Amino acid sequence: MDKIKIKKILIIFLLPFFIFLFLGCQKKEQPKKIKLYFVTWKPNIPEVWDEIYRIFKEREPNIELIKEIGPHSSTAFHDMLTQKLKNRSKDVDVFLMDVVWVAEFASAGWAMPLDDFFPSSEQKKFLEGSILANTYKGKIYGIPLFIDSGMLFYRKDLLEKYGFLPPKTWQDMVSQAEVIIKGEKKEGKEIYGFSGQFKQYEGLVCNMMEYILSNGGYIIEPQTGKIGITDTPAIEAVSFVRDSIIGKIAPKGVLTYEEPESLDLFIQGKVIFHRNWPYAWKVSNEPFSSRIVGKVGISKLPHFPMGKSYSTLGGWQVGISSFSKNKKVAWKFVKFLTSEEVQKLIAIKASKAPTRTALYNDPDILKVNPQFTWMKEVFITAYPRPRSPLYPAISNILQRYFSKVISNPNLDVKKEAETTFKELQKILSLNK
Amino acid sequence: MRLSLNLKEKIFATILIMPCLIFVIVFAFYPIFFSFWLSLHRVIIGLPSINNVFVGIDNYLSLFQDKVALHAMLNTLIFVSISTFFEILFGLVIAIVIHKKFKGRGIIRASVLVPWAIPTVVSSQMWRFIFNDKYGVLNFIIYGTDIAKYKAWLAEPFYAFVAIIVADVWKTSSFAALLILAGLQNIPEELYDAAKIDGANAWQRFRKITLPLIKPSLLIALLFRSMDAFRVFDLVFVMTQGGPADATNVLQFYGYKKIFGEGFMGYGSTISVLVFIISFVIALIYIKTIRIKLFQNDK
Repeated sequence: MDKIKIKKILIIFLLPFFIFLFLGCQKKEQPKKIKLYFVTWKPNIPEVWDEIYRIFKEREPNIELIKEIGPHSSTAFHDMLTQKLKNRSKDVDVFLMDVVWVAEFASAGWAMPLDDFFPSSEQKKFLEGSILANTYKGKIYGIPLFIDSGMLFYRKDLLEKYGFLPPKTWQDMVSQAEVIIKGEKKEGKEIYGFSGQFKQYEGLVCNMMEYILSNGGYIIEPQTGKIGITDTPAIEAVSFVRDSIIGKIAPKGVLTYEEPESLDLFIQGKVIFHRNWPYAWKVSNEPFSSRIVGKVGISKLPHFPMGKSYSTLGGWQVGISSFSKNKKVAWKFVKFLTSEEVQKLIAIKASKAPTRTALYNDPDILKVNPQFTWMKEVFITAYPRPRSPLYPAISNILQRYFSKVISNPNLDVKKEAETTFKELQKILSLNK
Repeated sequence: MRLSLNLKEKIFATILIMPCLIFVIVFAFYPIFFSFWLSLHRVIIGLPSINNVFVGIDNYLSLFQDKVALHAMLNTLIFVSISTFFEILFGLVIAIVIHKKFKGRGIIRASVLVPWAIPTVVSSQMWRFIFNDKYGVLNFIIYGTDIAKYKAWLAEPFYAFVAIIVADVWKTSSFAALLILAGLQNIPEELYDAAKIDGANAWQRFRKITLPLIKPSLLIALLFRSMDAFRVFDLVFVMTQGGPADATNVLQFYGYKKIFGEGFMGYGSTISVLVFIISFVIALIYIKTIRIKLFQNDK
């Protein structure tokens, strides 16, 4: 009895094995293709990427592109990608890199220097800031794919209805929002003033940096390495976000929002002002998903009365893993991805701003994105986040600080800033 | 050459346990010792030039001065004690209910286990939607269609912490129930019959018979749950990422962030080792007490 039972169990366990073996034998011999592994994130507008992959497949039928799609959040994507690179994974040939990772990836030896493939004569065709962001200790480690910087989106129709011009200062934005919210409420419509990205993640640093810079402050001065978060302009800016924006003109929920959630609120017609990267232009004018098609305006970010408008420099680069076995093939893909043709496609269909300067005079792109004419200037002046191989640690400290002070109205901002100052100092001193 | 039977037996036994032993060494001992080794060194991925320096117990010293780590530690302890308490409590209630004979018990028993069977990542995502400020069902249940009153649960430090506890209790109470149920089924019916004849009411029967006899399984449930809760990670990772304002930052998540996010392998491993030591100690304490209890039962 028992023996029969054991036999039965054995058969049940072994059966799948045999089935697999059998299937394995049946597999037909296929012509050998070169496998190329591409680690990328979940795109906001997937159709564009499908098209890019399709074109590449047509041009290079011998290369089999294997995509690994990571999470949307830059922080989560970073953790996934670096884990692979740390293990010298063979499943990574080409990867996307956030603008702030270059120093870390270069210093850790994960991204290979691309100077041989990408000489300075080629580099000159790109926006200067984007090339600088990809250079670490004199070598270039990534090819800029598109550039990002913070923008203010607003409801053109509502501003016109109440006779407002796009706000120049943050204070203007708040007072305009208050008037509009009151007015709309009288008509029985519930609307919020503002949405941005204030969750404890990388986007929070980008958002907060714009407030601090536009008040004449800074987080870490790029040239001198001085930390500025305890200075009055920075403290003022942070207190302003806490006291006038979070839970006031912006719903308290923004403390849990990344880009998609905050943009959702905007395209549902539930907010007047919205801070996001340029791709939001495309999404908010998408007839199937957006309720505010044609009602969207876009402008530079506001600033404080004494400061001027600043945007955080963002954007994504394409890099090649130092551990890749097919570096030359990988370069073929990188070259294709950052070519004028693909950048143009991305600019037209996803409203991502190209990194090649020539494209800013391209009539096809400007027809779809008229804002690019003046946005180029914003991109050129966009402010980089601290450049350091320890940036992830710096960012985590900043995220913690900002999240803490803006979600608790009773905290002493100055005191928290001083603690953060010391933590930052400790990290920065490691790299001396 | 002829081997004695005894020796033959021994060699055979060694060969048989070899695969298991190798498995344990490669997947359990090696990582533990490697973490320990890392925790005594400075290893920072972003700065390979100053790596692999032996720093002794420096990492441990800075861990106990690291306010964020201490805060995470406190969060973890609060999380463990509250969530385990409610899990055992609800587990007990569920176990008693599904122990009773009634129509459709099979279906109820199976459905009680559903939360436990769902992968944590999936259920965390589900709870994240439930607590969402704009389209979450919780707001709808409490405030109806009065959208203006909707609360952003996960945006407020206190509620976010409550939220992860609720999600954990919902998910694992049924696991506790399963263990307690096994204990309940071992109690002979005659004891209750005898007690009834002696005139004991339901509460007395529960206090004097059920509770003492299921104590071992209660303890085992407690052991599993508190050790598991101590290592909480996926819930936090999916629902809050440690925010807002670090309110839900637990030790494991902090360690993860240090190692995988910031590349501080040495310091991050120190946190892992600490978590390991604490759960090990918890296990030891429980095992000791359980053994005493079990022996008492044997008498």
